[in-house]
Amino acid sequence: MKKILVYGELNSKDNTIEKVTFELLNKARRLSSEAKELKQDEEYIVEVVFCASYLVDDEINKAFKAGANRVVLIKDSVFDTFYSTVYADAFLEYFDKNPSDIILFPATPKGRLIAPRVTVQLDTGLVADCIEAEFVLKNDKLLFAPTRPTFGSELMATILSKKAPYCATIRKGVFKTDFSNAKTGEFVEYTPISYHEDRIKLIKTILNKDKNDVDFTNAKVVLCGGYGLYSNKSDEYYKKLKKLAKITDSFFGVTRKVVDFNLAEQKYQIGQTGSTVQAKLYVAFGVSGAIQHIQGMKNSKTIVAINTDENADIFKYSDYKIVADAKKVIDDLLIYFDIKI
Amino acid sequence: MNIIVCIKQVPDVDDIKWTKENNLDRNNMLSKINPYDEYALNAAIKIKSRFKEAKVTVISMGPKQAQDVLNFALAKGANRAILLSDKAFAGSDTLATSKILAAAIKKYCPDFSLILTGQMAVDGDTQQVPLSLAQLLEIPEITNITEICNADKNVAIVSVKTDLKIDIYEINTPCLLALKTECEENYIPKIDDYIRAQNIPIEEYDINDIGINKEDVGVIGSPTMVYRAFRPEIHKDTKEIKEDITKKILDFLLKVDNK
Ligand SMILES: Cc1cc2nc3c(=O)[nH]c(=O)nc-3n(C[C@H](O)[C@H](O)[C@H](O)COP(=O)(O)OP(=O)(O)OC[C@H]3O[C@@H](n4cnc5c(N)ncnc54)[C@H](O)[C@@H]3O)c2cc1C
Ligand SMILES: Nc1ncnc2c1ncn2[C@@H]1O[C@H](COP(=O)(O)O)[C@@H](O)[C@H]1O
Repeated sequence: MKKILVYGELNSKDNTIEKVTFELLNKARRLSSEAKELKQDEEYIVEVVFCASYLVDDEINKAFKAGANRVVLIKDSVFDTFYSTVYADAFLEYFDKNPSDIILFPATPKGRLIAPRVTVQLDTGLVADCIEAEFVLKNDKLLFAPTRPTFGSELMATILSKKAPYCATIRKGVFKTDFSNAKTGEFVEYTPISYHEDRIKLIKTILNKDKNDVDFTNAKVVLCGGYGLYSNKSDEYYKKLKKLAKITDSFFGVTRKVVDFNLAEQKYQIGQTGSTVQAKLYVAFGVSGAIQHIQGMKNSKTIVAINTDENADIFKYSDYKIVADAKKVIDDLLIYFDIKI
Repeated sequence: MNIIVCIKQVPDVDDIKWTKENNLDRNNMLSKINPYDEYALNAAIKIKSRFKEAKVTVISMGPKQAQDVLNFALAKGANRAILLSDKAFAGSDTLATSKILAAAIKKYCPDFSLILTGQMAVDGDTQQVPLSLAQLLEIPEITNITEICNADKNVAIVSVKTDLKIDIYEINTPCLLALKTECEENYIPKIDDYIRAQNIPIEEYDINDIGINKEDVGVIGSPTMVYRAFRPEIHKDTKEIKEDITKKILDFLLKVDNK
């Protein structure tokens, strides 16, 4: 039987499984049913591999529920500190003995470091930062076909590889999670030769205390301010929108242009070079709808856009179009809440 | 101390032109140095200004035109420029590109202490070349660097700043450092600098010079290939809201859980 391997990522603080791993597992599971539909005799099992010093049962079970048939822990305390070389070498050692046909890595900071080190040593291709993956049937052969944005997302490219294993890094937030897999499978522990990295030392970490991390992973509602909210050379309306987000239990987001003009911090940026969101409701205030921005929000369920330009591109991607002054709308909404509070 | 900076010539993404067939019209686009590579170059020049014996070599794999970015780098203060150009290199993906760069570095500047690269190339945006190169040369790397605080022949001290924290690393040379942010010193070359740069010939090497196999480069040596390229299309059934705007938005906001 063939195999899709998901490179699993853990939270470095408590070794809980990162959401992106579940997203990739669900995708891997869907790919495996897709393969069977296209070609009856083609069957893939889904394996997830973690490099860590431990993994608790609860987490292992979640991995099964999310779609894994096999959960592997490459176990060593060296993994408590992250070094791309150490992780990649241990992973390869395991992989040599337990090969698979496809490897999906998360396109997270760590995944991006490990994946090329692994694929270079396997002398195979790596498709970066994919937002879709499917199988295509060509000359009666099933080919793994991931799709990635290029040229600042102006163009989508579906890329095939000539050689197995077929490898891709997949962006986080583009696939859904699903914990409905009823079957549990095999759990395997693997002890690698201990690899060390003594060429790099973390000498100091300075916490940026006043800045909280913005994690859009679970954002239900996002209120996004574009450059259209800029007025009188001030960030007044970004502050107002942030306040509105707070009152309505929503997330505040911005476009890159807003960040570039120092009107909001980069951590709030949504899009290709910022965060990807999958909100239930996404409201764009004065956003033009550049493709790089759209990349980061188009999978939201309901998209509402407010823009003074009735031909703004953002409307093409919206469920609801509102041609209006977004600043006035924000003021009106704030008035409503002030009265209510 | 030898510092290598990998620079790529990229089309200006703010100036993208399309052909009638919806392909990129590369002939009519402006090209420039990949912005992240300029950050790397600036960082190298800054180290050079502190250490008299430091030498900066810029290296680029690409068509002959890439001479432009190499000349620019020389004008900015690089000591040596290498262009890796051959018809056989066309169509190289990240693996093939990294193999070409690695082979050339091993042959023409094996005694490097640092390799500086950009965090990403804005045309492809794969972020894979730096790591692949580090792997092929078997050296460690640090990426997403916001500042090279200090560097000498033996160690480099770099910082990686995010919204959350600043990590400061010490890394032994030889190593690869990928730059994400601009350092403050950005020297814009003047006419005199370009004239001075003209005295430094760009070294050009092809596939035979480098001594790399045809099977490892270009389209043949690239394990990945584009199957189809398309511009994203959208078919949304957009409804326009013209009245009671505030009330309708409030409805959306307050009833989001029922959707
Ligand atoms: C490699 C690359 C990566 C990028 N990554 C990202 C990314 O991750 N995220 C991102 O957002 N961008 C990204 N960009 C930038 C992107 O191309 C756009 O420049 C940016 O998204 C534009 O931001 P904007 O819509 O806020 O501003 P603008 O394009 O200036 O649009 C402002 C809009 O506001 C409208 N407006 C003006 N006044 C009002 C008013 N009073 N009320 C309502 N509407 C009003 C205008 O009609 C206009 O449509 C990237 C670009 C590149 C090249
Ligand atoms: N053809 C090339 N020539 C020289 N350096 C390159 C080339 N391609 C990529 N690089 C380097 O690798 C970095 C990342 O590129 P990429 O992996 O394509 O996103 C760039 O910022 C350059 O420093």
